[in-house]
Amino acid sequence: MKFATTDAAKPRRARASEAVILFCIANQTFAIAADAVQEIRSTDSLGGTAIEIEQAEVPKVRHLVERARRTYYVVSGCAHFGLRVTRPTLVLILRQIRAAVLVDSIERMADIATVYPLPRGFQGDERKWYRGLTYLEDRVIPVINPGGFLTVEEFARLDQAAAVSIATQQLEGAVQG
Amino acid sequence: MTGAAILGTEQASKNSYVLLHVGNRRFALRSELVEELAPPVRLHHFPNTTALVAGVIVRRGRIVPVYDVSRVLCGRESSVHRFYLVARRDFGNESEPSAIPVNGECELSNSKLIPAENGEAAHFAGSLDVAGEKIQVLNLEALVSASAEAAPTAGNAEARQ
Repeated sequence: MKFATTDAAKPRRARASEAVILFCIANQTFAIAADAVQEIRSTDSLGGTAIEIEQAEVPKVRHLVERARRTYYVVSGCAHFGLRVTRPTLVLILRQIRAAVLVDSIERMADIATVYPLPRGFQGDERKWYRGLTYLEDRVIPVINPGGFLTVEEFARLDQAAAVSIATQQLEGAVQG
Repeated sequence: MTGAAILGTEQASKNSYVLLHVGNRRFALRSELVEELAPPVRLHHFPNTTALVAGVIVRRGRIVPVYDVSRVLCGRESSVHRFYLVARRDFGNESEPSAIPVNGECELSNSKLIPAENGEAAHFAGSLDVAGEKIQVLNLEALVSASAEAAPTAGNAEARQ
């Protein structure tokens, strides 16, 4: 057994860095690859275009937005990560995934050199949530796996519910018109 | 070194335990599993749903999960200011460091393992008799992997914030 007194991250070989966006939900900082994010909008600016979906199977999703002829499901970051409910001000619209994520704030952008694998001791949902962990300015920050916000099954359920909601909205529009 | 000496060394290693404090109780862990006693470095939290994982610490360039085993062993969370006993946890052919919060008072003991009694929890491999005191030997793997059922509060990411 050794008793160690100093602690420092091991110097790593120089390698290509990755640009990430650091964002906050309920005072918790997360990182997401910058190229995984299509667009960042304020919740106010999307408020008028968001359509409410009536479904209970995926409770973390309550709205969808249409962007460039694609339907994006708006995931509550608080509900997804099991964090206390906050008032989100921004929406991260993802690039490859038909999902958008409600977040409280953007901290800043950063370049990270390494994404460490999540230790195998972590065996819960976090294995889907995170690509790994990064160590940035004395903080360990989880790096988001964009594909972990919604499963294929959840997309299928949401697509069904969305079709009903959109049809209802169109019908109501026609009646009012 | 003679064969008898080698056997003696192996036996000594087999009977070597680190005695540690969790809460107000002393427990033991096989010394061959223990990597180091780390100082009270920063515990980093992030949402997770793994039972007992309180966060991670950074040691020697590695990110080490911290298991708050006091919830299982003592029925409550341990205090904030603490050291970490870093021990090896096996995952198939590979191993990974894992840390448990301790109060910093650790010592080595050479004692013979007394097998666990019937009805004793699976996370106890047995016990040691150290100067008349019965000290239970932890089975770290059973303690952290079976803790999902044993932990009073498990599975809530918010609770770990």
